[in-house]
Amino acid sequence: MASFEQHMHPKPTTFISKYIISYDHKVIGKQFLWYGILGLGIGGMMALLIRWTLAFPGEAFPILGHFLFPETNGVVPPDVYAMLFTMHGTIMIFYAITPILIGAFGNFCIPLMIGARDMVFPTLNMLSFHFAVLSFVLLLAGLFTPLGAAAGGWTSYPTLSTLVGSPGIGQTLWTLAIFVLGVSSTMGAINYITTIIVLRAPGMGYFDMPLTVWGLWLTAILNAIFLPVLGAGCLLLIFDRTFGTQFFLAGAAATNGVGDPVLFQHVFWIFGHPEVYILILPAWGMVSDFLSFFARKPAFGAKATALAMTSITILSTLVYGHHMFTTQMSPLLTQSFMTLTMTISIPSAIFFANWLGTIWKGSIRFTSPMLFSLGVVFVFGLGGLTGLYLGTVTTDIYLHDTYFVVGHFHYTMAASVLLGGFAAIYFWMPKMFGVMMNETWAKIHFWGTMLGLNIVFFGMMLVGYAGMHRRLYNPFVYEFLEKTIPINTWITWGALIMGASQIIFVISFIYAVFFEKEKAGDNPWEVGTLEWTIPSPAPHYNFDKIPVVKCGPHELGNPSLTGDRDFQYQTEELVQA
Amino acid sequence: MSNEFTADTLNGTIKEQYVSNISMIVTLVSFTMLFATMFLGYALYRLTSETWPPMGMESVSLGLPILSTVIIALSSISFCMYERSYAKSDAQSSWLWATSAFGTLFLVSQLMLWSSLQASGLYASSGIFGSIIYAFTWVHSAHILMGLGALAWLGLRIKRKKAILMTVKNVGKFWHFLGIVWLIMFITIFAI
Repeated sequence: MASFEQHMHPKPTTFISKYIISYDHKVIGKQFLWYGILGLGIGGMMALLIRWTLAFPGEAFPILGHFLFPETNGVVPPDVYAMLFTMHGTIMIFYAITPILIGAFGNFCIPLMIGARDMVFPTLNMLSFHFAVLSFVLLLAGLFTPLGAAAGGWTSYPTLSTLVGSPGIGQTLWTLAIFVLGVSSTMGAINYITTIIVLRAPGMGYFDMPLTVWGLWLTAILNAIFLPVLGAGCLLLIFDRTFGTQFFLAGAAATNGVGDPVLFQHVFWIFGHPEVYILILPAWGMVSDFLSFFARKPAFGAKATALAMTSITILSTLVYGHHMFTTQMSPLLTQSFMTLTMTISIPSAIFFANWLGTIWKGSIRFTSPMLFSLGVVFVFGLGGLTGLYLGTVTTDIYLHDTYFVVGHFHYTMAASVLLGGFAAIYFWMPKMFGVMMNETWAKIHFWGTMLGLNIVFFGMMLVGYAGMHRRLYNPFVYEFLEKTIPINTWITWGALIMGASQIIFVISFIYAVFFEKEKAGDNPWEVGTLEWTIPSPAPHYNFDKIPVVKCGPHELGNPSLTGDRDFQYQTEELVQA
Repeated sequence: MSNEFTADTLNGTIKEQYVSNISMIVTLVSFTMLFATMFLGYALYRLTSETWPPMGMESVSLGLPILSTVIIALSSISFCMYERSYAKSDAQSSWLWATSAFGTLFLVSQLMLWSSLQASGLYASSGIFGSIIYAFTWVHSAHILMGLGALAWLGLRIKRKKAILMTVKNVGKFWHFLGIVWLIMFITIFAI
């Protein structure tokens, strides 16, 4: 492969050149990690405010409530409630999951795992982070405008998002922020795609790449193709809101010459369905690797897993219509979309079976990354199966816009990706910061999160099945939903458990990064991928000498291995059994 | 850092060309999707409308759009000439200047188009017909501005002798891409 000596920026010396305008992919990865954790914190607090309102309608939010909502004595007001769920969704998707999985670990892992010294375009990489910061500032600025932040849901459907539905500047800022973030992510994607094509270490074919890199690569491809689609939608929405164009105003072009709100839904979901795979693919890749690493076995059907992920990537572009079954779509079209959607379960089942095949009869080490990976297997299984009910037209018409949908996409996007992200943080912590996180607290964090999130998201599916609509301020004004108050209270307690567990994580993380004295070894997890052949934390140039790859990433437990190692590095000649 | 590896890697310039070529193609895919989405929207509006232009509006007279088309075609041709001269390592910067001049003229022709549309009473807020004409030309002109920036950057790189053939080709790809987008716009929005 066309590997070559990269031009390296000199090692930075001042604080600003080291941490603010860094060209180093590892530092940019860390920047994205902090950025994402901040996003998780803000989005999580918003989630707790939402949950409190649903469990205890009309009661003041403890402690913070009186500061935030003095006019209502600490009760979340209805308009703020709409802003909260809008901003919660937006922040969690675009400013928490995206930066952690794609920004942080994409940047950190890709060059290290393919044996490169940096990304192929370091400046573009730096700009991508700075655009992301600008975007977050724009988004949060909306909270401080007179009419408040965007309140049209994270999907921002017109007419909720046009001047008719939200006259404030907050929605304009939201749209602009998403556009800027799209630019940032597209820059990152171009960088990732090119880096993986041209900078793989000599000897590393595509199927010798760790599955993590496969996941990140496919994600980058989807990003580069589909973020501009959302970008175009956002541009037209901005034009509608600021320059008076009429793309998304209600009414048909033929009768009164104005636009069509449903067009935005098409544009949004042409992007939006690939987006859910953009979020989950890196987590799938990482989990596929971790399961193999900690079951001490080669990944079962690694090639099939990579190809299954590729076919899901392709199929994901063809199914967006299943988000719009209730928009008076023609039955012929709904059934075609339904069929295509069901087709996705074939490759999903393939790699899911491969996961199970990997851990089957493995000598599993229940370390924290493994626990989180097994968590992903469980929650993704549940989330994936409940997706079938939503992909089927007949059941979706009943379940559309209920909490069942909320439970489903939280299981797949929030729970799986979040657990995958935590697994990645625990796993790469020694290579990122040179220290290990405390295993005991990590396990407590895992069980707290797992317990909390299952109460929350399973509860959501139950109340959704009972018919609770997803965006109501106080659903209990409807008599048939009054009986769901106890479940909703349970969900909120689950959310509090989950929130409390994250405090453990944050303390443990900050302690490890800033105060931990004990240095981690070069290869604490005993795995063979390229990033573990270099010292911890990874030095400025990553690889003193560009490695030559001789075997695949999952060579574990080969009985012919001599010595006390049960794994071999990718730079070593494959031991012949 | 060891240089041990340079021996069996590709020749430096070829490698850089290879890298920037790949990334430029990916970039153009992204830009294509942006415009493709807008054309998709336009197609839907147009197909669901019984008459076009809707509401008995008058079509835009073709004079200025034809002028813009000619100008942008000339700019693309002059960039081709520049590329050719550069490839023969006999770079004639006058062709690059000509490209930039035609690019600027194109923007002027767009400004004239907008003022003539306004003079005839067609605003961005005059229904979907006006919205489409203005939004497409705004977005396209913004990209032309970016393209002019790229041309200026290319000029600087060449002056400092930092440019390689692929830099020239890549700026060219972007510039010709904008020309093609304009051509599609001209045909679908103005001509038919």
